[in-house]
Order: sequence, then structure tokens, then C-alpha cells
Amino acid sequence: MLDTAVIGGRKTITVIVPREDVSMDFCLSHEEEILRKTVEDFVRERLIPLEPQFEDAPDIFEGSRWKSRARLSRDPVVLRYIDIMENLEKQAEAQGLWHLDVPREYGGMQVSNVAMLAVTEELEKSAIPFEFGNHVSNILYNCKGEQIDKFLWPCIRGEKTSAFGLTEPASGADPSMLQTTAVPDGDHFIINGIKMFPTFADVADFVQLFARLPNTKGREGVTCFLIETGTPGYRVTRSIETIAGSEPCELVFEDCRVPHSQVLGEVGNGWALNQAWLGARRFQVGIRAHGMAQRVLRIVGQLLGADSAEASKFVEGIGHFLGELDALRTLSYFGAWKADQQMDVRSEAANVKLFGTELLHKIVDFALEIAGPAGLRTSHVLARYFRHARARRIIEGPSEIQRHIIQRALFREGVAGLELP
Amino acid sequence: MEFRLSEEEKLIQSTAAQFVKNELLTREGDYLRQRELFLPAGDPPRRELDPQVRETLINIAQHLGLWTLELPESGAEPIGYLARVLVHREFGRTILPFEPACAPALLAKTDFPKGLAAGKLSLALGFDQIDKTGALDGINTRYRPGAAGFTISNSEITIYHPSADLFLLPAREQGTHRIGLFLIQKNSDGISLEDEVDLTNDARMVRLKLRNCEVPESALLGYEYEAGEILAAEQLRIAARCLGIGMRCLADSIEHARTRETFGRTLAQRQAIQWMLADLSVNLRSCTWLTLEAASRADQSLPFFDAAALAKKRAATMAFGAADIAIQIHGGYGVCKEFPFEGFYREARMLRLLYGREAELNRAMGQTFLKMGLKR
Repeated sequence: MLDTAVIGGRKTITVIVPREDVSMDFCLSHEEEILRKTVEDFVRERLIPLEPQFEDAPDIFEGSRWKSRARLSRDPVVLRYIDIMENLEKQAEAQGLWHLDVPREYGGMQVSNVAMLAVTEELEKSAIPFEFGNHVSNILYNCKGEQIDKFLWPCIRGEKTSAFGLTEPASGADPSMLQTTAVPDGDHFIINGIKMFPTFADVADFVQLFARLPNTKGREGVTCFLIETGTPGYRVTRSIETIAGSEPCELVFEDCRVPHSQVLGEVGNGWALNQAWLGARRFQVGIRAHGMAQRVLRIVGQLLGADSAEASKFVEGIGHFLGELDALRTLSYFGAWKADQQMDVRSEAANVKLFGTELLHKIVDFALEIAGPAGLRTSHVLARYFRHARARRIIEGPSEIQRHIIQRALFREGVAGLELP
Repeated sequence: MEFRLSEEEKLIQSTAAQFVKNELLTREGDYLRQRELFLPAGDPPRRELDPQVRETLINIAQHLGLWTLELPESGAEPIGYLARVLVHREFGRTILPFEPACAPALLAKTDFPKGLAAGKLSLALGFDQIDKTGALDGINTRYRPGAAGFTISNSEITIYHPSADLFLLPAREQGTHRIGLFLIQKNSDGISLEDEVDLTNDARMVRLKLRNCEVPESALLGYEYEAGEILAAEQLRIAARCLGIGMRCLADSIEHARTRETFGRTLAQRQAIQWMLADLSVNLRSCTWLTLEAASRADQSLPFFDAAALAKKRAATMAFGAADIAIQIHGGYGVCKEFPFEGFYREARMLRLLYGREAELNRAMGQTFLKMGLKR
């Protein structure tokens, strides 16, 4: 049984109340099933009929990116797509499918991680990049006092977007090497440093910036600041094209003065925040890779449908990947369930990120073998997935870091983490 | 969703775990030890569990309710698929060849449950050609109605348990091609067991030859669904055993890597070793949930044959990989018969071949997809 409790004033967590003796069960609860069914209907009735229109949509209509970048566009084609998306938002809101993962105290539905996964699994059955709610960086729920009205609420309402500034030119996979400094000066901090690759920083309203206090190293002294675009001393110097079509930015901070009131969480306590941000979306990453890979296999099915000679060459590969996708799905749900129980899920998150992104990459590669050179046309949907999938094995922690996290847990706890809960 | 075991499931699991720890693992060293200082000339003898030890173990297992899991003593509830997976997973953690007796629930209405439960009788599956393919359409043994029941016509079937007294085998009715599932006694007319040979996994196989074998009407225990269910149950048993093999290989490899030093550092500090184990653990975790999910579906009377086949395929491949890694990390010790890993390696190679080989299962899943699209 799940229940909710308010702890520490604002932070709402899910706790377990004593339950009856229930067997292990892989089905959704009654309420979760109703939600899943509602989403399934929405996808079938509202999204899938739109798919033909989206076949030639520009690259920015992938994931939730359209909300940040496309909205600034003056291109009539882009504007037409935005119209469609905003119309969908209205329909979803009317059906109560909005703010699903926002806590109740902020007017959201606060559904469990498991339910959120079931929702995403249904959404992923369509190629339309639609989500129920605005993207809110999960660490922003640590906002206090006036930060709430200034940063959190506008993000929930979709009026503001944020960027995430952690990676630096010389610190990527190991963020504890970050060099950006925050020197206290009265009731301000003075920030100096360079940040690499925050996506959407060029269009975001503020950045969640990680910097370290003087004379600290490693995880100590890391502090998170909320810094608005346009603050003197903070410049977005350029955006950088990538294989995946996203355009992350380079940020420069030169004697940028930020008031104490814009520290997110506690001074010196930023390390936990960056870990929370990285961990939170991993199970969604798994189910998204699952959905995307299923769409890739559907294209493979269409390519092979009329050609039995070709089909016989690749049919075993398809069967293999279908089984691997089932494995990814079960790993994702287990991780989400464990997160709902407030258990340590660092290793499970790494499992899902590693297995999911590597599998998606292999399936896209396999699909290209079948499609042949034509599949690499820039506008071909497989070529898009090909470019996207390569980047996923790096972004939010490369596969090697995930293996490192997994082995660290193995040598710390032995096989205890693989015994049944 | 609930990934936690219920109190009852935990009790069954811990009973099995305690039995494996106290009775089996304590005897594993003796079982693995070479009998003589120097091996006699010629082929080394096949390893076998001492018959007296086996008898002792059967007694304890019966006492703990870990023997004929699907045929409990009268009155008691049979334990479900999920609980059986938990039990077999524990037994898989040792190379000692001792497992709960196979006695499917559909034998309840026959004369044999008592003998099976007492350990006096044993049962083998005679699933003909499909012991490789895992697909019922490969059955080619034929039966027809006879004078006092049925006649099973000429056929040769491979059996992996030559000392069995009872054989459960599917056959097709002449003309209708309907599948029937038969229970045949060893001493029936028209039956002989021939060509017994050793297998590389310390087991034996034998050819069961049927020549117009007459069986009574009561020997027909079920039809296609029942045959499919026996097959899926066997796939789940194999998958569960493979999970146990994976757990043991992983746990021992971690322990060895922590203490073994090369060139001034422990193996645990070497990335080549860390990554092998990390990848294995991801694979093992996904196999665990696939197997448990398939078993849970079976308990809830949801379709589970495909899920069981997938669980078996992935778990057997995983177990083979786990044994391979354990051998590599243990080095010279890994290939010694005094350690369990080479035995797991030989066993897992066999399990990969039984009831659905990878290529076949992949092909079947791929063909279904091309015909019907994605499930769900």
C-alpha cells in the first residue's frame, strides 16, 4: 500500500504503510490501471491520427524540446506544429491528464514512479513528442521562500524553463572535478567559471548552476545557484551543434554576483542535488529507449513485410531484440518500484541507463542494416534515431560510468542487491 | 505492482535456502573432491552423488516440504509457480546434483503420487524432438485408440533421466493430429531403454524405444494445453536453476576478486574484472525479473508460455556466461573440478540446448512479430 506524508514542511514523500500479505505481483494497481487506460485511449484517439502530419516535422519536435526552442521560432511550419501541440495540451488538461508527476501541494497528481512509467510506456506507442505536463527539473522542489514563486511555480505552469549547468570543459563524467568557484562576499557570492553543454541555456529563463566554495575539492563545498538569464557577469557565449540535433551551449561566468537567497538547498550541499537530478529520470530513460526501440522495430516490420527473402535473413535478430526489450522493461519497472519504496536505487538507475541506451543503439544499428543506404537519408526517421541513439550513450553519464556505479555496489554489498526484496 | 515477496513466499524461499546451505553446500566439497591421488588410466569416472547421501537428503527434503513440490501431501495446498521458481533458484546455487523431484500436478489423479513423494519412484519427461526446439509442433510420435486404451506406435525418444520409472510423453493421434499427453510405466509392454551414454554434464541419456506400446485409457492425462504447460513449467525450472547458478558464480567471483592480488593490486581494482561482473549483474537482474514475472503470470492464470520460453532462453545464456566469467576470474582454479565453476559451465551449456535453443526461440518470436506486430 502506498500513502503520502508531508515531511519537513514541503518535501512530500511516499511511504509504506503496513500491508496485508500480498504475493509478488507484476500488474498495475486498480488506480494505476485506470490511468494507464485513459492514456492509452488518449494516444489512440488523439496522437496516433496525427502521426502522418509529423512525419516531416523538423528535428526540434523530438522529446520536450519543442517547448523551449520551437516557441521562439518565426518559421510558419514550426508555428503550425506548435499550434497542434498546444491544442493537444488543452485536450489533455480537459481530461485531467496534466501535471502527473507534480506533487499534490503544487496542484499536481503526484503519481508514483511506476504509474509514471506506465504512462510513458503508453505515450511512447506514438511518435508524437507529447508529454502530460511541463518539464520541471526535480531538484527545483527544494526551492524555499520567494524562490518558489520566482522559479518553481513558473516552471510548473510552463512560463519559464531552466537549464542545468554542471559539466565543464575539464569535468564531464566526473563532476566532482568541477572548477567553477563561488566566493562569498557579504550576502552575495561571486561566481567565476565556464560551463559546457547545458541544453537550452540560450532560451532558458535561468540556469541551475553548480559551483564550489573556495578551498574545497571533490564533492565538498559544491553549491547550487539559481541564476537568471541576463544577470550581469553571466553570458551564454555560443550554442554547439551535435550529432543528435540538440544544441547545447557554452556558459561563461565572470565575477557574476548572485545573492545568498538564490542558493538552492543548503550552501555546500549541492552534490546531493546534482546526484538527485541525475538519478531521477533514469527509469524514464529506460522506458523511453524501450518505446523508441519498439517504433524502430515497427519500421523494420514494414520494411520486411512484403519481402520474405529479406525477412528470413533478419527474423532471428528481431526475435532476439524483442526479448531484450522485455528485459529492459522489467528492469525499468523494478527500478521505478524500488524508487517508490524510497530505497537506494543508484545501482538500478545505472542498470537501466546502461542496458537501455546500449540496447537502443544496437537495435537502431540493426534496423539500418535492413533499411540499407536509404535509411541514412538525413530526413529518414531511422537516420534520426541513429543520430539520437549515439548521443544517449554519453549524455547523463556514459556507459562506462554506469558500469563503474554498478561494480562499486557489487564490491560494496556483494550480491545482496541482487537478492529478492 | 509489488516486487517484494509475501511472508509465505519468503518462508518457502528461506526454507530452501537453509536446506541448500546446511545440507547441500556442506557436502559439495566432498562431492567435488577427487577420489584418488592419481586418476586411474582411461576416462575419469563420471561424478555421482553417493546413493546413501542421496537417501539422507531426500528424507530431509521431504520433511521440509521441498520434495514433490507440485504434489503436496493430501490436504495441503500445492505451491505455485512463483514459489517453485524461488525453490529451484536456491538449489541452483550448488553443483551438487540434487533437486526436488519432478512430479507435475496432473499426476494427482493417478496411482503414483505416493511413490513419487516417498522417493520410491521417479519421473522423466519424454518430450521427443521438442526437447531441443521447445515447440509442440515438432511432436511426431503417433497414437491411436486400441483394444483397452491406446496404442503408441513405433518411436524413439531421448530421455535424460535413465533410471526413471515413469515417463510423461506427448504424442499425436493418427488422423486427427490431436496432441495427447501420456504417462507410461517403465515395465509396460512394447517399451525398452537402450543405448545409455554419458553426457558431458555428469548426466546420462538413453533412448526410450516404443514398439506398439499398449497403454490403458487412464494413461492419457491431458491434451495440447497440458503438454504446453509441462513444457513451460520445465522452462521455468531451468530458468530458475540458471538464476541460482548466476548468483553463485557472481558471489564467488566477487569474493575471489576482493582477495586475489596480481602485480600489487587486487583483481577487484582492475577494470577488466569490474566490467565483466557489472555486465553480468545487469544480465542476471533482468533474467531474475523476467523469470519471476513469467511465474507470477502463471499463478494468476494469465498466458505465460512465451514469457517462460524467453526467461529460459535468457537465463540459460546468462548462466553459461556467468560460469565462463567465474572460470576466468578464478584462473587455474576455475578449470579444476574441485571448484564448482567448470561443472556449472558444462551444465549450463546443456541447459541452453534444452526446450528451446536460442536461434529457434528468436526465430519464433521474430516470425510472430512480422505476422502480428507488437504484442499488447
